[in-house]
Amino acid sequence: MKPVLQLDHIQKYYGNEDTLTQAIRDISFSVEEGEFLGIMGASGSGKTTLLNCISTIDTVSAGHIYLGSTDVTDLKPKQLARFRRENLGFIFQDFNLLDTLTLGENISLALTINNVPVHEIGPRVQEAAARLNIADLMDKYPYQVSGGQKQRCACARALVGNPKLLLADEPTGALDSHASQMLLSTLLGINETLHATILMVTHDAFCASYASRILFLKDGRILTELIKGSDSRRIFYEKILSVLTMSGGGQTNVC
Amino acid sequence: MYAKLILRNVKRSAKDYLIYIVTLTICATLFYAFLSITSRYYKPDVGAEYDFTVLGDSMKLAVVSITLLLLFLIRYVNNYMLRHRQKEFAVQAVLGMEQRTIAWLFFAETFALGAVCVLAGIFLGVLCSQLITAMLLSEYGLTFRLSFMLFPDTVVLTVCFFTLSLLAAGLSNVHTLRRIKVIDMLYADRQNDPQLIKSRYMQAMTALHGIVLFIMVLAGISKLRFYFDPRFPLPVHIMFWGNLLAPALSLALLLLWLVGKAVFSRKNRQNFLWDFRTLLLVKMCLSLINACFSASVPRICARYQISFGSSVLGSDTGPNTYLMFLLADLIYLVFGVFYLAGEAICLWKEKRPAHTYRGQNLFFFGQITSRLTTTARTMTLICLTFMLSIFLFLAAPALTGWATGYLAIRALYDVQISTAYNNVYEEEDLPTGGYGSVSAFLEEHGIEPAADCTFHLYLPRREEFRNRIKWDFPVVAIALSDYNALRKMLGYTPISLGEKEFATQWQTIATEEERERFLAAHKTLETDAGVLTMASVPEHAPAVMESAPTNSRTFTGKDSTGPSSQAEGGRPGDPLYYTEALGETLYNRYTDVIYIFPDSVCGRLLPVMQNRYLQTKEPIAYDDALLLQEMFLEEYPEEPAGGEGTSYYLRTRTEQLNGTKATIFTTHAMMTYCGVILMVICLTILSLQQLLDASQYRYRFGVLRKMGVEEDAIGKLILKQLRIWFGLPVSVAVLMSSVLVFYFFTTIRDQIVAYIGPGALAAQVAVTALILSILLLCYFLSTWILFKKTVGD
Repeated sequence: MKPVLQLDHIQKYYGNEDTLTQAIRDISFSVEEGEFLGIMGASGSGKTTLLNCISTIDTVSAGHIYLGSTDVTDLKPKQLARFRRENLGFIFQDFNLLDTLTLGENISLALTINNVPVHEIGPRVQEAAARLNIADLMDKYPYQVSGGQKQRCACARALVGNPKLLLADEPTGALDSHASQMLLSTLLGINETLHATILMVTHDAFCASYASRILFLKDGRILTELIKGSDSRRIFYEKILSVLTMSGGGQTNVC
Repeated sequence: MYAKLILRNVKRSAKDYLIYIVTLTICATLFYAFLSITSRYYKPDVGAEYDFTVLGDSMKLAVVSITLLLLFLIRYVNNYMLRHRQKEFAVQAVLGMEQRTIAWLFFAETFALGAVCVLAGIFLGVLCSQLITAMLLSEYGLTFRLSFMLFPDTVVLTVCFFTLSLLAAGLSNVHTLRRIKVIDMLYADRQNDPQLIKSRYMQAMTALHGIVLFIMVLAGISKLRFYFDPRFPLPVHIMFWGNLLAPALSLALLLLWLVGKAVFSRKNRQNFLWDFRTLLLVKMCLSLINACFSASVPRICARYQISFGSSVLGSDTGPNTYLMFLLADLIYLVFGVFYLAGEAICLWKEKRPAHTYRGQNLFFFGQITSRLTTTARTMTLICLTFMLSIFLFLAAPALTGWATGYLAIRALYDVQISTAYNNVYEEEDLPTGGYGSVSAFLEEHGIEPAADCTFHLYLPRREEFRNRIKWDFPVVAIALSDYNALRKMLGYTPISLGEKEFATQWQTIATEEERERFLAAHKTLETDAGVLTMASVPEHAPAVMESAPTNSRTFTGKDSTGPSSQAEGGRPGDPLYYTEALGETLYNRYTDVIYIFPDSVCGRLLPVMQNRYLQTKEPIAYDDALLLQEMFLEEYPEEPAGGEGTSYYLRTRTEQLNGTKATIFTTHAMMTYCGVILMVICLTILSLQQLLDASQYRYRFGVLRKMGVEEDAIGKLILKQLRIWFGLPVSVAVLMSSVLVFYFFTTIRDQIVAYIGPGALAAQVAVTALILSILLLCYFLSTWILFKKTVGD
């Protein structure tokens, strides 16, 4: 398997000389194609900063991030937007759907801003919606559907452009346990059937148990790594809890 | 602690609510500036011949009434601030602060902000009042000197007015804040756009329009009955029938639809025929046609000299009714346009996928439709207010130009004494004597006459004395020597006539067609002194006839420019006539022309009117003018005792200028003021509407950014969105007001030609349009910058 994403000694500092905050101290890792990677850590461990840097919304203070063969840190601001829309898909905790558009239009938007030919848009949107089981909600506005359906729409929007990497930031944060389970099963299904590469940030052990590998962050560094291997999800979940307890993540991270 | 909180919030709000602050300051500035000239302490040096108090009360009332419109704006902006801060209030409430305290804190904050604006407004108002004074003095023909003064009564009135307004708006906010639930405030910014349910205002508007249509049909029938003649040319036929059939068709359609909906729609609910929007669309098309017919009325009436009546069912002259009908149709159209705009965009989106799914168009359409459906009514009202504002701005120069031009041909002499014989039935009751008491009065008050002319006006034929039918009133004649004396008084060169010749003198208002018709029909004239022939323009017009007023004290208007008599501009052999303004009391009632006869002819005619025109060396003081009038009225009443006898009139230039100039100035100032206030309201609301949901927009554009849309594209989207929000109401308003202004100008076309001049009016309209465009651009740019800043944050 070739690596899709590679992080090379990245660091991120905030503030000035007097009030320097090291959000990320020195992190290096790579993500293989078709991998489902989870990133866990307590609040303030740097996981969201890491995701922002990978998603090019934020810049790194030092180090390099390679997506495929492209060094993201070398891209100019104008190139970044293009790079983002052509290579990355996002799923956010608060869905980030546009309330002015129907679910169908929200999914279409990801294609229209990429200037996909009009005749391709309809079938691709339908396909993505069918995969996420929201095909009959295409004409509804976000305020007319449930949180789980909104998140599935966000997921469809992220996938419809066939991104190289799907980034999910606490995707189940605003969902109940049933909706969370459904979404995670869907994500896993996508990962397994379409070989989509997923990088998911979460502080929820149950959520993380769907990943195939988990990086635990603490104080801006990788504390440890856990690989699912041939374990069942339940055993993997137990292992995650153990790591969290050992790392001092506390019971707050345990569902 | 609370004081500190209020102060900090005010400081922070100052940045957030820049547009509100600017608007309130502008309003206070204008209020103070316009009100200052009505102050008791305001005494500009306009000379003894003017009494300034005539301006005071009417203007004060007008300024306050117009400014009441601002309450609407203050309330709107307060609502905006309330919505903007709800989350913060919720946090305060959750922390344990009583809702009552929160409400009063907000009240104190808005009040403090308002107070600062009003104080700044008064300061700026002092500067701005100089402009108003300059405008006033220019109206009185005086030069302007800078003098800054703070008028205590105006300050008190301004402070009181705005305090009350802010109090009213603030207390209403307190009431709202105390009633609103904490949970609603907490999630205010997370609430989705309301569902696309429309209120029934458009149905109500359609019902109202139905009533207007009914009145239009009645008016159409009435006009057809009273004024129609089958011999009229085709365009007149079209005008008459169009103004009846178009509203009738629209009304019939409405009634049919109502009946049809009641009967058939239960069976087939999905049928588009019984959809309200279908009816609306058809009715809008018919309204457009109807508006065209209404708009054609003044033009066709003027072109074919048709009397069409001003009242709906009566028989007065003037097409004012159709101005109202046109307005009603335009208002309905504006309502319809905004009501259906959202639907139209949705339809476009559906039918044109190639366009919809290109770049960020999908996002753009979503932005527009989501707001259009919820703000259609506000946008309509903004558009209509804007339309009214533009109309006021453009109509003001026309009306004041008309009044000024009319004054120029009216107030030509320092004293004008005229008579009317409408109530004289015996020849011996006709006026005689020389108004000696006026001479005595002038002498007594040290007013020296510079020129004086007492003269008679004669009936060409004695038998015409009994002719009192309004449309057949006889044209009177003036003796050549008297006529030349009047010309001399006004600085025009004298004229000459052959022994058996006559010429004519015309009122400024008389149209060319009217004149040509009259001259063609009066080549010769039978008089009691024999038959006279119309004089012609001589082969070589003598140099002395190049007349222009030379008297420096003559009030000159537009008439002093350009050729004013046939002697100058006519070809040799054409009938000789004169159009210099010699005063409107020179003409007999209901006529626009007088004959000029040789003196020998006039000696044998019946004198029916006796006028006296006087020019004085110095202007008559206002008090003296009033006294003179009073004295004259005692001796020569306007209404003869017992209803029979000569009616006498005395007008002084002082009193005429005073009254008219004050009215002109008040009208001009108030129309401008009202226009500015309405425009400021519109533009502020348009701006605020965009900035109101800045947090929502920030979120939406943020999503786009995360999805990889470049900043350039986002910048373009913002500009496109603002262009639509400003452009749509402004362009609809400009279009509609152009129709209205065009109609209005066509209605008063004769007055424009006679008193203002189309060129001068066009220049004024162009300047006004330029100023309005600059104002609009300023608002647009400031909104754009603030919007970009908010979304960029």
